[in-house]
Amino acid sequence: MNQLVINNVTMRFSGVVALSEVSLNVNQGEIFSLIGPNGSGKSTLFNCINGFNRPQEGSISYNDTDLVKSAPHNIIEAGISRTFQNIQNVPFMTVLDNVLLGAHNRIDTQFTLKRWFLPGNREKEEAMALKVMDFLGIVNYESKFMSGQPYGIQKLVEVARALISQPRLILMDEPAAGMNEQETFEIARIIREIREKLSITVLVVEHDMNLVMSISDRIGVLESGEIITIGKPEDVKNHPEVLKAYLGEGFDA
Amino acid sequence: MIKGRYDDENLKWIPLLIGLVLLIPFALKGMTFSYKYYIYILNTIGIYIILTVGLDLLSGYAGLISLGHAAFMAIGAYTSAILVDQAGLPFMFSLILSPLIAGCFGFIIGFPALRVSGMYLGLTTMGFGFIIRRLIIALREWTQGSAGLVVSPPNIFGFTIKGDWANYFLVWTLAVLVIIGARRIVKSKIGRAFMAIRDSEQAAEASGINLAKYKMFSFFISGSLAGLSGVLMAHTNHFISTDHFDSMLSIYFIIMVLVGGAGTVYGAVLGTLFIVLLDNLFVPELETLLHTMFSIESGEMESFIFGLVMFLFIIFQPTGLYGMWLKMRIYWKLFPFNPKQRFT
Repeated sequence: MNQLVINNVTMRFSGVVALSEVSLNVNQGEIFSLIGPNGSGKSTLFNCINGFNRPQEGSISYNDTDLVKSAPHNIIEAGISRTFQNIQNVPFMTVLDNVLLGAHNRIDTQFTLKRWFLPGNREKEEAMALKVMDFLGIVNYESKFMSGQPYGIQKLVEVARALISQPRLILMDEPAAGMNEQETFEIARIIREIREKLSITVLVVEHDMNLVMSISDRIGVLESGEIITIGKPEDVKNHPEVLKAYLGEGFDA
Repeated sequence: MIKGRYDDENLKWIPLLIGLVLLIPFALKGMTFSYKYYIYILNTIGIYIILTVGLDLLSGYAGLISLGHAAFMAIGAYTSAILVDQAGLPFMFSLILSPLIAGCFGFIIGFPALRVSGMYLGLTTMGFGFIIRRLIIALREWTQGSAGLVVSPPNIFGFTIKGDWANYFLVWTLAVLVIIGARRIVKSKIGRAFMAIRDSEQAAEASGINLAKYKMFSFFISGSLAGLSGVLMAHTNHFISTDHFDSMLSIYFIIMVLVGGAGTVYGAVLGTLFIVLLDNLFVPELETLLHTMFSIESGEMESFIFGLVMFLFIIFQPTGLYGMWLKMRIYWKLFPFNPKQRFT
């Protein structure tokens, strides 16, 4: 079965234990949310999946590809792409080119060579990006420079850049951070559509509880680098340890 | 979909560029008697443009600063001089081989670039420049040390290219090819990869861009172009010595790229034009003026002027000459309805 298997992953940063023996599975076609207080290791786990960090112990595999041994730029070939919490883009490039950045591996050398000599080939590249941008509703921004765009659009460009590589699994690091209610609602719709229309598995880190509870199939709760519980939204909502981690001890619910 | 959305895609600018390059020498010949001097200056500009466009790919696009580019030029120049005059290879062969050798040196200097960046990389490449200069002096057997080397004029399929007029067409044919090539590269996925490396290494890696590969590639291509400009410099000037490639020249190249607008191919072209013309036409005038009016003997005015120009550009016009041109174009497009602060 197609799935992401994280098995006993331990990650230390010279003494600080960021993740300790984290194990979880993400099944194909589900929306899995990771929640937890700040500094609980959510982003570190993403970085481990993505190859930016190398866990000292444990294994991460996706469709039998060992991700721990892969270089960061090879992760995308395994079918995993990601967005970032703090927006990462190229300010002095158009929105369309920023989206096309994600299609790096889909554009082969032969095509690039043709592009150098035949001007018409640009349109094939553009069609690729416009399809994804149309899906996310940002087509109007295609020829604008990235630098002046509103925050919400920049976030969506991140998603577009992750989607254009045609992944099987997309990692979204706080897609709704800094967004207003309207935009958060929009993001929730987009995440559902990514799963339903494109049948891509979504692993999402998010602090917005309303968003998490409404979209997730399953939720994993991280606290100080350890998984407290994994379960359905309603179970997680009433789990005593989750309440403790979020609200502190002595809270009488 | 709208066709030809980007200026670059309809390629209108290529005939314009070629026409301009073909027209200018004849226009100069018609206008002045001392046209040969101006042609000589244009040759220098063409040679430098090949290098600065390459430097722009490295420092402007990929964001890997190099303060040792004169060294790649020296490698190209000396390699070609030795290959043609001492090993007896044909010029055309050396024209291809010498830049590749310079590119290989670029490849070697690319290794530290995988680890260090920013200012430290600048210092590393500067050190590389010093090393190459010492190395050229040390290899006295082939390079005649600091005495310099006399180089034969280029010989293409039996035709010897002699004089500034003939050199102009050789130099500018290659310069135009380099400009067109560089434009095509930066508009393709390679250019996008370079810019992603400059602005966000994380996004680049997550998008499947192999950082090491593209950093090395930018060093290779930049080194090759610098080598090519070195080859042309050696064979059109007929004399090279280590003094031609001192570290100050590397810094001038960086100034050219910055003043023109780092991260744009035309910026590098404009910057080179501006700085070389300033150096050859304006600075001598200024020196004579200072001498006749205030009887000041001012040597080394060029360093002063260049320093001032760069200082002013970085503070007031960080996007360079090309950025200025873009703003001007927007200003005239919207002409009667300009927002007030638009044109600065």
